[in-house]
Amino acid sequence: MDIDSKLDKFDVKSGVEGSSSMQVDSKGTAEEKDELADSMNKLNVEASSSGQVGPSFRRKPVIIIVVGMAGSGKTTFLHRLVCHTQASRIRGYVLNLDPAVMTLPYGANIDIRDTVKYKEVMKQFNLGPNGGIMTSLNLFATKFDEVIQVIEKRADQLDYVLVDTPGQIEIFTWSASGAIITEAFASTFPTVVAYVVDTPRSSSPVTFMSNMLYACSILYKTRLPLVLAFNKTDVAQHQFALEWMEDFEAFQAAMRSDDSYMSTFAQSLSLALDEFYKNLRSVGVSAVSGAGMDTFFKAIEASAEEYMETYKADLDKRWAEKQRLEEERRKHNMEKLRKDMEKSGGQSVVLSTGLKDKAQNSNMVDEDDEEEIEDDDFETFTEEDVIDEDEDEDEEVGRFSS
Amino acid sequence: MGYAQLVIGPAGSGKSTYCSSLHRHCEAAGRSLHIVNLDPAAEQFDYPVAMDIRELICLDDVMEELGMGPNGALMYCMEELEDNLDDWLTDELDNYLDDDYLVFDCPGQIELFSHVPVLRNFVEHLKSKNFNVCVVYLLDSQFITDVTKFISGCMASLSAMVQFELPHINILSKMDLVTNKRDIEDFLNPQGQVLLSELNQLMAPQFLKLNKALIELIDQYSMVSFVPLDLRKESSIRYILSQIDNCIQYGEDADVKVKDFGPEDIDD
Repeated sequence: MDIDSKLDKFDVKSGVEGSSSMQVDSKGTAEEKDELADSMNKLNVEASSSGQVGPSFRRKPVIIIVVGMAGSGKTTFLHRLVCHTQASRIRGYVLNLDPAVMTLPYGANIDIRDTVKYKEVMKQFNLGPNGGIMTSLNLFATKFDEVIQVIEKRADQLDYVLVDTPGQIEIFTWSASGAIITEAFASTFPTVVAYVVDTPRSSSPVTFMSNMLYACSILYKTRLPLVLAFNKTDVAQHQFALEWMEDFEAFQAAMRSDDSYMSTFAQSLSLALDEFYKNLRSVGVSAVSGAGMDTFFKAIEASAEEYMETYKADLDKRWAEKQRLEEERRKHNMEKLRKDMEKSGGQSVVLSTGLKDKAQNSNMVDEDDEEEIEDDDFETFTEEDVIDEDEDEDEEVGRFSS
Repeated sequence: MGYAQLVIGPAGSGKSTYCSSLHRHCEAAGRSLHIVNLDPAAEQFDYPVAMDIRELICLDDVMEELGMGPNGALMYCMEELEDNLDDWLTDELDNYLDDDYLVFDCPGQIELFSHVPVLRNFVEHLKSKNFNVCVVYLLDSQFITDVTKFISGCMASLSAMVQFELPHINILSKMDLVTNKRDIEDFLNPQGQVLLSELNQLMAPQFLKLNKALIELIDQYSMVSFVPLDLRKESSIRYILSQIDNCIQYGEDADVKVKDFGPEDIDD
């Protein structure tokens, strides 16, 4: 907030400068008018940008999007997560995005099935099950801002938001609506993707690798922190997977036992994936027995940290870029305004009212802000300020043009 | 000796549309081509279906009778297909053994080709029936808008490639909907270094090494490359078909068939 208050001070001063020159030089030359307009320009831009600093972003709750292949046990896993949150007094919020599920083992706070009837969609649009799910999700995505608002409203009371996705992984990862939903979450809250792996099925090295490749694909598609959850550890332990991930020679040995002519290619793939594993958090969990839940939440916490460090920075950058474009547009408008003012004759009295009216018309400055600044003009106007003025202005111009 | 294409890809990537345009194209060119439906959930076709998995099992029946969701039911259907490889499929295939060209329109579930061995066994079975099989992987070109998504698409296609161990053609479908062709162009002939620098800008710093490893993989092996498909253009379809024919050596040992001369010649 330091920066903000600084900004305000600058605003006030440039405002002071503007009004002072107005009062002192009643017969303003064209040059001074320029200066005046400029300072007004700055005043406007600064005041409005200090009004909203960055997107509204909160540290909590952490969004956990659970994805995984069909049959990997997403819903059961989520059920276990819900139980765990309730048992350990973590405040969770559950979102179901699977329109085709018949019965949910857990109670969802927001359920896509309340909004879209999947069977009706199939009937009305004459679609197959796949298209039906896709269209339901598309329809839901159009209203997703409301979902975000609901969560935002309750943000202070929540620690985690758990999101269940449709059974077919590509409906979420390779569709426009999935991308919209993920990005809507990611731009408001820290978001982590949990990729659920069917451990017993992955015990063959080829399936394991195609699973990992797919996880890699999701990582690049969403650019969000990824947590691998090896599910069903009650059936098969995930130790073999960890070993393969840590030691690619072990994996290659396993590969070799699987006789196929792709093995040389697979070996170089495994080398590439070796880098992938280094950036990955993986935990073994069992949705049935509930083992590994604490480690899972620890991994989520760490990933949320990572999100704040990297993704958030990227988001800020993009926000700044947007802000810059907006500013340019504004400057352009102000330039127009200045030209108009020059045309409207040289009387400074006209100028001052023109300034105020225009500023109000353009809706760039809240009325409150403007009044505040003007009040300050009279109260804080001292000789010192007048002396410092030039210095401040230089500083401001320098900062502004940078 | 028979020939087969296995058309796979994510849901909504345009598999069925590809099959129907292929059929139209071949009809116009006087080639025989049979399309097989492997999607138990499909209901409408705009191409004649030579074989249909729904004769064996239908998704709706499974959903109703076993009380399964669409996903579970689909898995069940495919497992049923696997069980019936020797009976139903073999019977059906017996009609098409001699130099025939089959196109299999698969359901759009990635799980089927990267997670469960159903399709792999299916392909093995085809191979044992002396079919030359080529995998055609379709990807919606509208999702390849930046380099991270390109890598993501490559990975998804690689994961299918590793499973099948077959000749593999990647197709970027729906090129007619892409407004900015130049963006896609970069990905059709990927330049390793250019991609890498773009990737490094987009991804967090801890992924630098992974980016490098992946780009090297794509660059050096040139395992993944995409062919654009614009269904409005005949030339585009012809080009893709010739690529696939080349992969499965179609027509290299073909004999002259009576029907190649048209029906009036038979009367002579």
